[in-house]
Amino acid sequence: MIQFEDFSFRYKSSEAFALQGISMTIENGAFVGIIGNSGAGKSTLTYTLSGIIPHHFDGDFYGSVKVNGLDTVEVKPEKLAQFVGEVFQDIDSQMVSSIVEDEILFGMENFGVPHDEIGRRLDSVLDMLGIRDLKDRQISSLSGGQKQKVAIAAILAMDPEIIVLDEPTGELDPASSIMIFDILRRLNREFGKTVIVVEQKIMLLCEYVDRLLVMDAGKIVFDGRSEEIVQQVPLFKNLGINVPRVVELGQQLTAAGLYHGAIPLDLDQAEKMVKEVLADAGV
Amino acid sequence: MLAFEHVHFEYPETPPIIPDLSFTIGDGDFVALIGSNGAGKSTVSRLANGLLLPTSGKVLLDGADTRTTRTSAIARKVGFLFQNPDRQICQNTVREELAFGLKVQGVPEEEVKARTEEALRDFSLDGDWFPFTRSRGERQRIALASVLICRPKMVILDEPTTGLDYKECIAIMDYITRLNRETGLTVLMVSHDMELVQQYAKRVLVLTNGQLQGDGPVTEIMKDLSILEKAHVRPAQIPALALRFGDRFKDVYTVDEMAAALKAAAKKGGAPA
Amino acid sequence: MNLLQYQPGESFLHKLNPVTKLLAVFLYCVACIISDSIFVELGLIFLMLIICFFAGLGKRALSLTKNLLILGGMMFILQLLFVRTGTPLLKIGSLCIFTTGGVFSALLLSCRIIATMLPMMLLFAITQMTDLCGAMVKRLHIPYRYAFIVTTAFRFVPLFTSEFHDIEDAQKARGVEYDTKNIFKKIGLVVPLVVPLLMSSLKKVDAGAMSAEVRGFNLRTVRSGYRDYPFAAGDGVCIALTVVLIIISALL
Repeated sequence: MIQFEDFSFRYKSSEAFALQGISMTIENGAFVGIIGNSGAGKSTLTYTLSGIIPHHFDGDFYGSVKVNGLDTVEVKPEKLAQFVGEVFQDIDSQMVSSIVEDEILFGMENFGVPHDEIGRRLDSVLDMLGIRDLKDRQISSLSGGQKQKVAIAAILAMDPEIIVLDEPTGELDPASSIMIFDILRRLNREFGKTVIVVEQKIMLLCEYVDRLLVMDAGKIVFDGRSEEIVQQVPLFKNLGINVPRVVELGQQLTAAGLYHGAIPLDLDQAEKMVKEVLADAGV
Repeated sequence: MLAFEHVHFEYPETPPIIPDLSFTIGDGDFVALIGSNGAGKSTVSRLANGLLLPTSGKVLLDGADTRTTRTSAIARKVGFLFQNPDRQICQNTVREELAFGLKVQGVPEEEVKARTEEALRDFSLDGDWFPFTRSRGERQRIALASVLICRPKMVILDEPTTGLDYKECIAIMDYITRLNRETGLTVLMVSHDMELVQQYAKRVLVLTNGQLQGDGPVTEIMKDLSILEKAHVRPAQIPALALRFGDRFKDVYTVDEMAAALKAAAKKGGAPA
Repeated sequence: MNLLQYQPGESFLHKLNPVTKLLAVFLYCVACIISDSIFVELGLIFLMLIICFFAGLGKRALSLTKNLLILGGMMFILQLLFVRTGTPLLKIGSLCIFTTGGVFSALLLSCRIIATMLPMMLLFAITQMTDLCGAMVKRLHIPYRYAFIVTTAFRFVPLFTSEFHDIEDAQKARGVEYDTKNIFKKIGLVVPLVVPLLMSSLKKVDAGAMSAEVRGFNLRTVRSGYRDYPFAAGDGVCIALTVVLIIISALL
């Protein structure tokens, strides 16, 4: 469980606060999506969870952040890593090895996981992500989607309860993006991991996550179930955040008095809505 | 005008990336090049401005073969915005960065000054910023400004909105669209975001395995689900929704058009509003 | 860069313990250095080529030899011009160009260079850098921190090379004339290449450090490596054979 209590942070070199007055709780087993414009503080928030703030970046730290009851200020990042694993935004720079297997072993070797246990976990994460055939490949020869899977596997091998990802699909094509979110869903549902993901593609978030956080200028301006975004279209528009086209359509039809049901989030729901409108019109 | 004539491209000892590709892009067009990762989009965009040269076949820019034209001469005509702006930003201030491209092209001092100030205003940039520590969106805007300040006839955008939020992405695309309409700037945009393509492009080229699977007006390609599927791209929502109703919403591509069509249907049907 | 790249394989050479490979290469080089006979040097080059051929590395070894020949040739000319022992062989007026002693020592030196460089470079063809460092940590108890720095440096070389090419493309695309013939102009054009490379390297290194830190880099101990790198009978045989080589080359 993660608890933020009136947390604010300002980077050493900067005048403005990167995060301001954050108070929230993330329960175990949640699938949380974070969206917001660049500079809204999304990456800073992920750094806070993995203890990189305040241990790697200096600055003014107010309030408290607790992971499983441990205060991140008092606990070193390597201790925190037993509970929280973070996949960083830049896929290439976070790799520490040239071969897939070594990359996955790195964390486990460092933490002194017993030999048999390492072998077992290695097998299990290779299967979990379906990358057994990539085991001996050079990382530089992999596609973006494959690299992202390796990065996730390397974090999962340390067996954290919470996995944090910063724009994992930023440089991927739509097919690979969906593949990554399918994996995150499995990790969440089948393996009970808490997943916290920063993502710009609103449609993926609507489809996959249970809880959505919208950030703006260092604050959380919306915190609710992803279905609730349909009531927040004006807020999203105001912030310049994209909403799915079908949501926009639903809004317009509701405003025109043609439709009275729930606003659709995906194509199937939209098809139902249009059918209803047409039926009402007697077509 | 950009013309690919039976272009074949391969690196030594590997299977060809582009087996045989031919198409032309007329002046003032707004073309989107779509396809999955590894389809050859980046190769095509680099062939188009002479960064790569065809193994056989020809790439012609206004009739001039890229193999016999210096890249610096091509650069005057064709601007190129890379996915990652950090590869081009190399000066201490945004002002110097914008002026740099003009200076290497030998534009007189006075004009460099005037055009730099103009571009700073157009892109709402501060000339005194230290470019390297700005946000990704701002860096992309700086890179775009330093490309467009050279007033190319054509601009190639290699997934220009990667790493940008929606707001920044719209700002950049709106600006390019305005130039396309007002000055006849030719645009070739590599992208796999179909919502973006649908919103901005006039014509779409679909690439899979280095081959052209489809080439047509955006309205046509948007409703050809089999082509989009082959290219592994996710169709834009409203055209896909319209398709589910056969011919009923034949000319519907945007939210507004769909809403208008349904309002018209309701009126005609005499249903209570 | 290609010359130092790992070439995957299952040959008897590949299967040796990385520490054995390193030691054997060292001993082979000692054999090359202590010998004063051109024939022994030629024999050692030939022997190395034969070993490589049987290990499926024949093509690689030949192309390496070809590259080393250029280096050997250059050393040959230098040595020829500077060594002044023996009787003059070529004279222009009273100026002696080269001597018998010069020819002999130049031949010996260039053969020796090829004979020593060949196995060293082949070491990279049959050993993954990570295995070499892993084995050195496990077997020779070299501190992990140093081994990690070495592997990381090797890993970064191709990354930076490709980054450099991308930056060059980006600058070319905006009209920077790298195809200019003017040397002074060319030197001035280094800034647009070096500055972005420096900036991206700094970012990469910092991101890498952060990633290693949260994955417990600072907790690492000698014993925590997963792979064991045990020695086998073949390792002993290999070392014994190279020792025999040294004795032979010392005697001949």
